[in-house]
Amino acid sequence: MTKYVVNRLLRGFLSVAIMVVIVMVMIFTLMDRQLIFASDPLFSKKTFNAKETYMYSKWEEYGYLDYVTYADYLLQLTKDGTITEETRADAVKLGRTPDKDSELTAQYVKQFQEYYTSKGYEVKRLDTKMNGKKVANGGQAALFAAKDKPIWDRAIHYFTGLLEFDNIHRVQEDIGQRKLTFTLHDPVYGGEKFSPAILGNGTDHKYLMYCDSNFPYIHQNFLTLHLGKSFVVNQGIDVFDTMTRSQGGYVTSTITYPTGLVEESADDLHSATYVAGSLEVGELLYGTRFNDDYTQTGIVKNGSSKMGYSFLFGILAVALAYVIGLPLGVLMALKADTWIDKLGTFYIVFITAVPSLSYIFMVKTLGYAMGIPTTFDLESTNKMMYILPIISLAMPSVARLMRWMRRYMIDQKNSDYVRFARSNGLTEGEIFRKHIMRNAVVPIVQGIPASVLFSLVGAFYTEKVYAIPGTGGLMVTAIQTYDNNVIVGVCLFYGLLSVVSLVLGDVLMAMVDPRISFNTKAR
Amino acid sequence: MSQEKVKIDDLGFSEEELFSIQSHSDEEAERITAPRYSYWKSVFRVFFRKKINIFVLVVLVLVVGFAFIYPPLSGYDEFANLMDSSAKHLSPAAAMEKFGYNIHWILGTGASGGSTFDAVWAGARISIALALVCAAINMTVGIIVGALWGYSKRADKIMLEIYNVVGNIPYQLLCSVLVLIFRPKFWTMVFALTITGWLPIAHFFRTQVLIIRDREYNLASRCLGTPTMRIATKNLLPFLTSIIVTQAAVEIPSYISMEVFLAFIGLGLTDTTLGKLITNAQSAMLTPGWQMEFWSPVILASIIAIVLYVAGQNLGDASDPRSHMM
Repeated sequence: MTKYVVNRLLRGFLSVAIMVVIVMVMIFTLMDRQLIFASDPLFSKKTFNAKETYMYSKWEEYGYLDYVTYADYLLQLTKDGTITEETRADAVKLGRTPDKDSELTAQYVKQFQEYYTSKGYEVKRLDTKMNGKKVANGGQAALFAAKDKPIWDRAIHYFTGLLEFDNIHRVQEDIGQRKLTFTLHDPVYGGEKFSPAILGNGTDHKYLMYCDSNFPYIHQNFLTLHLGKSFVVNQGIDVFDTMTRSQGGYVTSTITYPTGLVEESADDLHSATYVAGSLEVGELLYGTRFNDDYTQTGIVKNGSSKMGYSFLFGILAVALAYVIGLPLGVLMALKADTWIDKLGTFYIVFITAVPSLSYIFMVKTLGYAMGIPTTFDLESTNKMMYILPIISLAMPSVARLMRWMRRYMIDQKNSDYVRFARSNGLTEGEIFRKHIMRNAVVPIVQGIPASVLFSLVGAFYTEKVYAIPGTGGLMVTAIQTYDNNVIVGVCLFYGLLSVVSLVLGDVLMAMVDPRISFNTKAR
Repeated sequence: MSQEKVKIDDLGFSEEELFSIQSHSDEEAERITAPRYSYWKSVFRVFFRKKINIFVLVVLVLVVGFAFIYPPLSGYDEFANLMDSSAKHLSPAAAMEKFGYNIHWILGTGASGGSTFDAVWAGARISIALALVCAAINMTVGIIVGALWGYSKRADKIMLEIYNVVGNIPYQLLCSVLVLIFRPKFWTMVFALTITGWLPIAHFFRTQVLIIRDREYNLASRCLGTPTMRIATKNLLPFLTSIIVTQAAVEIPSYISMEVFLAFIGLGLTDTTLGKLITNAQSAMLTPGWQMEFWSPVILASIIAIVLYVAGQNLGDASDPRSHMM
């Protein structure tokens, strides 16, 4: 069993990796790069050479290519100590055309070209564009080298950077004794309250393990998942962070800073990370609060994360769907060919055939007419606003479960083992509970992990229609804004979830039904 | 016991109850007396036995026919009244008053002053065409590949691996990325919806073929030396017909939904489609007096989807030979 599950998981992960590579190929090589400028107001204002360099710098930002300007190259040389600042200042001045370069410039330009051509870059020189006697706006000469990132490089880089382990040798600078300390009394709560925590020195995060009052109560920072940095959706922040970071207004609480200062603050000291030299630079702000360079903290907010909201709505809808759908399916089967059955069948046909957007809007309109809030508000505590989204989410699942349950019940009702049980004198209730139900739940059980796990990624329509700040829209927003890394990251996340949920579903099914065995020898 | 002969006439039997001498004919002896069975005739006999099916079929023909005939005749131009600010968001009554009594205005006008009625049918035409083309391609490829996949054990291994990779990608996600890459035009949309769309269908038919491939009658057929092609067309295909029709009934509406989804996330076609109309009129949904322009495309899309679905499902039931016995 374990061997089978591990095997299937590994194969699943491999196929997800292949899928990610395919998506990368599609996005980075097949898609028209010009598209990212379609709604860029800056782009249309740029002219001549400035437009071209702007394009390249944007493409680098979006992860298409490596882009090095001549000025950056000289700056790097200065930093390395190869050339002096004066040489750099002189060499950086490009002539209007290559033959108008000064001798010094020509020498470094040649060096630049040779260096980057040998590394496989394409070196491009743009001559000054003149407007009469003056240099045209944006027409300054430019010299740069660019190279498309090869797909394998990109993929390997992505997969190796996926998981990051924090350890005490992460910090480059001298930081004193590198160690992990375990304490039973977390200093954030004043050092009195019992709350185990692991603190690090030399690690990226100050707190590697801590407890607080938020689900799942025990948190860790040893292992960080990097799905890809966003450019547009949530600039500079990892996709996984975007999904799991809390939203809403600030919440202050009484916290004790490392120096012992007790203050009402929204700082989340548990999220403190190392920023070299920050204590010295931010003396005014940090001096009285921190005594080391672990000063960059997050902020405690009152809302859940995107994933939190999606999961909350999703799990409630799943529960509702099972509670309503299964009994209704049974009822339809028991009253087969009566008006109840026909009504149920109509509902199933309606949900299966009609675009889901339509019935979500129908629910919204009905709810609006009944005076139920139709938009989600982070600040509001009104529980009524949960009603409509949950109903909308549950509707398709109810239809699916009803259809399944009805089909199965009708198939089983006339099967031999049921007739045998009846002839043995069992009551209809017993037959139903002990015979039919045991068989009917097997395929239903298989779908439970998928429906629970997929509520993590949210429902696109429902979240958009009711303005829920969940994960459902993340992929769509990323597609609309050409945020390539987010697209790849979310694809990977979806893929992992589907692999895990399928395997879990099969395991659960094997646990419920003793006839199912993953041991090939037993067959 | 008396040996006296009994006269037949005295027993009172009628003429039909008595034996009569029949002449022998070789030709007659060869005739099979079972009623003639025609598959398709039986399918339609069973299909039309239910009154609901006749109704659904009439609606289907009317809707699809109207969607293909009306738009070229109506000369729909979304921006015809763009400059006329008094023509926008009119209720049917107001539109009739403004433009005169005409079929164009029975649903009022939309956000740019165009006729909602014309817009809805223009949208329906493209949406139905898209759904039919995609379903035709996906079903054809899916059935052929699925049959080969189920039949050949070597193909099964390779195809299962491919299915595992592609099956992990949510279909909506893949379509979105593809439409994003190829720009939304009718045929690129078809391409995006069909490039992997056939795979789940093929997988479904692979399972169906696997179920019947090793049945005794096929084994017997193979032992008797029936060529594979003949087994496929005469042994497997009749069994699959009802499954194919049922599957098509599920597929066609799903492309209409998919188009609505793609339009909703801003990746729809540039032409008028039902999805685009729904998306554009979203804000009108809760605005008093404007509801008509939102609900018209929604309801038409729902009618088309339901009618196609019900007709397909019932045709699928009717094309199952087991239902012909009654």
